[in-house]
Amino acid sequence: MSPLRRFVLVAVAILVVLVSAVAIWFATTPGPLAFAGGKKVALDAFTGAEPTGVPNDLLQASVEKRGEYLTRAADCLVCHTAPGGKQYAGGFAFKLPFGTLYSTNITPDKETGIGAYSDADFLNAMHRGVRRDGALLYPAMPFTSYTYVTDEDALAIKAYLFSLPPVKATPPANTLVFPFNQRWAMGVWSSFFNEGTRFEPVADKSPEWNRGAYLAEALAHCGECHTPRNLAFALDNRKKFAGALSAGWYAYNITSDKGTGVGDWRDDELFAYLATGHAAGRGTASGPMGEAVDHSLSKLAESDVRAMVTYLRSVPAESSRDLPPRVAVAAPASHKEGGGSGNLRGKRIFAGACASCHDWSGVSPITELATLTGARAVNDPGASNVVQVVLTGMQRPPGLVSMPSFGSIYSDAEIADLANYVTSRFGSKGSTLSEKDVAKLRKETAQ
Amino acid sequence: MATLKINGESKVFEATEDTPLLWVLRDVLGLTGTKFGCGIAQCGACTVHVDGKPVRSCLLPVGGIGDRAITTIEGIGATPAGASVQKAWLDLEVIQCGYCQSGQIMAAAALLAATPHPDDADIDAAMAGNICRCGTYVRIRDAIKRAAAARAA
Repeated sequence: MSPLRRFVLVAVAILVVLVSAVAIWFATTPGPLAFAGGKKVALDAFTGAEPTGVPNDLLQASVEKRGEYLTRAADCLVCHTAPGGKQYAGGFAFKLPFGTLYSTNITPDKETGIGAYSDADFLNAMHRGVRRDGALLYPAMPFTSYTYVTDEDALAIKAYLFSLPPVKATPPANTLVFPFNQRWAMGVWSSFFNEGTRFEPVADKSPEWNRGAYLAEALAHCGECHTPRNLAFALDNRKKFAGALSAGWYAYNITSDKGTGVGDWRDDELFAYLATGHAAGRGTASGPMGEAVDHSLSKLAESDVRAMVTYLRSVPAESSRDLPPRVAVAAPASHKEGGGSGNLRGKRIFAGACASCHDWSGVSPITELATLTGARAVNDPGASNVVQVVLTGMQRPPGLVSMPSFGSIYSDAEIADLANYVTSRFGSKGSTLSEKDVAKLRKETAQ
Repeated sequence: MATLKINGESKVFEATEDTPLLWVLRDVLGLTGTKFGCGIAQCGACTVHVDGKPVRSCLLPVGGIGDRAITTIEGIGATPAGASVQKAWLDLEVIQCGYCQSGQIMAAAALLAATPHPDDADIDAAMAGNICRCGTYVRIRDAIKRAAAARAA
């Protein structure tokens, strides 16, 4: 054998081994409920309260009413509505590193919406990510989660959507670059990463746990933001709920890790945070989580939110190495003490624009919702969420106290200094953002 | 019906819990010394004291105040720090148009009550959120120092 031939053979062999290893790694990616172990049974075989469907008081309601509840639980509204646009008419932009995707119109308009979808068409989209015309959907549509929704529940969602007024609206064309604009490739992706099965309860877990699992995994699709993604942009359930950055916001660790997750939160704190977007001393939900609370979680039955808490509690601890294991206590009352004192511009901006509501201590004299002490965002040395809130302000919960947006008032360099000051003063590890970092974060959330 | 302790008196009024205190002060109780500036806690004109701390009343919901004591510009002269601030303000003729000045006086009085001898950095930290379009900042700083000196004497 010539040396060249030998070299090529070895190179090919190495390549084959590498590709197979990656394929096996991907193919063995655990499903979202793999962590729970136990014996999975068919829904019919599960003894105890039904984990799927709607809460008891809606059992006798019309299919549209049941569908409305489930549509909210699945939070279809937020992604399928453009800012300022008609509800469910699509056009919301997903900014990805390789281009922008726009959500579709899911009103019952026959031409531009889903009005012509049969039941089978709708289930195909929900469970398999296949459009009526056969084109494959990108996983910005969380069909790898919705695949666990029962046919009955999915069709109730369809019935609700079909009861809404049709809106004629075509979203802008996607701007994905090659090879990501090749929709057919999503078939290969789905064969690896879409389990394609309906929800199966775990027999030795309580009905409440199973209800929580169905809500969190099939409908609320928590993992789509809170679970990190692998190289192929699929959820890496080996680090389930361990937190991930997407579209400029950090969806924090919600595993039972005590230091960097929610392991040391009490049940009632988790409940309050999910149901209202706020728990005393734990901060206030903003950005995408704020939207999830306002449009979805706050509309759920109390029993359902409690079930989600029960489920969340069981997710194994996974520590986030980029987060400090402890959140800071309140900062000193005097501006002269505490962290960040060398950051004069950051301090000056804080004094003029922030201190009147957030106080030098971080404990707001106006409302508990504005208290920074204990919030994960200020205890994140990446400071992405602090920057986002400064840029866009906070207009939730609706009707209550709001924070103005400062994005058009301060330059990127000023906001970087401010974020560095805020995380140093109120968090346990300050950030070191640059002007460029803020510019990037600004771009990622612009619609 | 709700009750608030304002300038030492119990005031009973009707308002929903999420109504900002400023609305109740001005429109319901007729205490119009406190001014509306920006409505988003960015100018300081609406500053009042809640248990002695300066708070922007334009964002403070009345439902969250409870039995904490509110002091407005109408009542601040009854406190030692407030009286000395008002005197210094008059001595130095700090005010130009005057619109922001009740807020400035409230912020300055809170500063002196907490920090009897403020240096320039303390004044910056306490007063930066109170904006004056006439630019009376230099006189405000002098008046705060004068009030502090008068109290020490």
